[in-house]
Amino acid sequence: MPQTTIYVSPRSLGAPDTRPPAVATTDLARLFAGSPALAGVSLRVDAGRTVALLGPNGAGKTTLLRLLATAIRPSYGRARVDGLDLDREAALVRERVAYLSHATGLYDDLSARENLRFAAAMLGTPDAASRVERALADVGLAVRADDRVRDFSAGMRKRVALGRILLGSASLVLLDEPYAALDDDGMRLVDQLLIAWRQVGVTVLVASHSTERLDAVLDGRVTLERGLVAETSGQGILSAPPSLPIDPRRPVTEMAR
Amino acid sequence: MSNLRTEARVALAVARKDAVAELRGRHATVSTLFFAAVVLLLFGFALGPDAARLAAAAPGMLWLAVVFAGILAVNRLHLLETDDGALEQLALYPVSRRAIYAGKALGGFAVMLLLGVVVLGTVGVLFAVDIAGAWLPLLVTVVLGAAGVAAVGTFYAGVTVRLRAREVMLPLLMLPVLAPLLLGAVKATSAALTGDPFGELGAWLQLLVAFDIIMVVAGAATYGYLLEDG
Repeated sequence: MPQTTIYVSPRSLGAPDTRPPAVATTDLARLFAGSPALAGVSLRVDAGRTVALLGPNGAGKTTLLRLLATAIRPSYGRARVDGLDLDREAALVRERVAYLSHATGLYDDLSARENLRFAAAMLGTPDAASRVERALADVGLAVRADDRVRDFSAGMRKRVALGRILLGSASLVLLDEPYAALDDDGMRLVDQLLIAWRQVGVTVLVASHSTERLDAVLDGRVTLERGLVAETSGQGILSAPPSLPIDPRRPVTEMAR
Repeated sequence: MSNLRTEARVALAVARKDAVAELRGRHATVSTLFFAAVVLLLFGFALGPDAARLAAAAPGMLWLAVVFAGILAVNRLHLLETDDGALEQLALYPVSRRAIYAGKALGGFAVMLLLGVVVLGTVGVLFAVDIAGAWLPLLVTVVLGAAGVAAVGTFYAGVTVRLRAREVMLPLLMLPVLAPLLLGAVKATSAALTGDPFGELGAWLQLLVAFDIIMVVAGAATYGYLLEDG
């Protein structure tokens, strides 16, 4: 069972109103095999907000999160995270972003503890040994810490992946369907994490099909449809229609960045 | 200095992770050693029972077995990264790509070194070659050869890891690039085993050193692009 107080360690963030927007995109687009998964998103999310990305399958939620995490590069358009250019300052962006994707990014032959120790080494986590133990306890896996993750259920693997996020000091957390595969305890863990991040001023973007569990912590909602922002609501969010029509038949190089 | 220390820490973490996963899975180590032994035996059968002929061919057989088995080993080390999105997660850590390359290459080097030593010993036994009399130059050759195969293999395993036909593509890409290393390692081994009558051992070892440096620098400089998924 997770502890009542989860330890999150953000970098020194400062007051939200003194920080640059956590996310600022202009005509951000990504094409796969000529087909736009994201078709020109101009969106601004203020620092410290917890925002849901909503929309049906194929709306572009995962693509937007992967772009902001620097997992993929934009076909065109611009994006800034914490004021840093996603394309030119990707290495600095990675220091500020944590991403929970559908895949857990874990090594099957390593135990939960070994996976988190490796993550701590890669993240440069101070006091790594104690932080790993704390993270294991926070995600409710202290008892199974030495078991190989190959033998874990999907929900337990997701808990380990959430533990990995706790080892970093991200100012922007990107969660792609965080409740998927989790049992009731696991869902409560995500609820607790969202509250903890909100309390310390971490910006959170949560891709989800519904907001039932998120209502209590959300500052706003962004609804995507067919790769475009269809609707926004709440505080700290601005959006604009794309300034360029996406034409997959035209080479990307012909379209202005 | 601090950056260098950080990169060393990251490289060691990657190499340690690969080593633990491999030792636990025992995939690359056992299958690679077994494959190398089979290659040596088959070459031995193909060449026949003539002891002088076998001894003359021993350096070539040694390095062909090391290179063929090495392709399996470096491929396996990168297959670890295909576990449930591990490669993408590796690319998202805020660390130098150069350090990730160094870590993967270090893990590959450890496996290749083990492979080289075991294959060298096996060649000595199977083909009645006097290894003990030239152990130092042979060891230096194995170390340099292992480093070269690991450097090239780490890079090309990174190129092919996302491909469905990676098992076919990896040797196709690696073997032509390894040709200078194969030549240098075979010649150096041959010179060491025959007492270096023409004084050429040093030159071949220098070729191996140059090859290793070029491949490590090129791999470290370009590996980061391989981690990008489009």
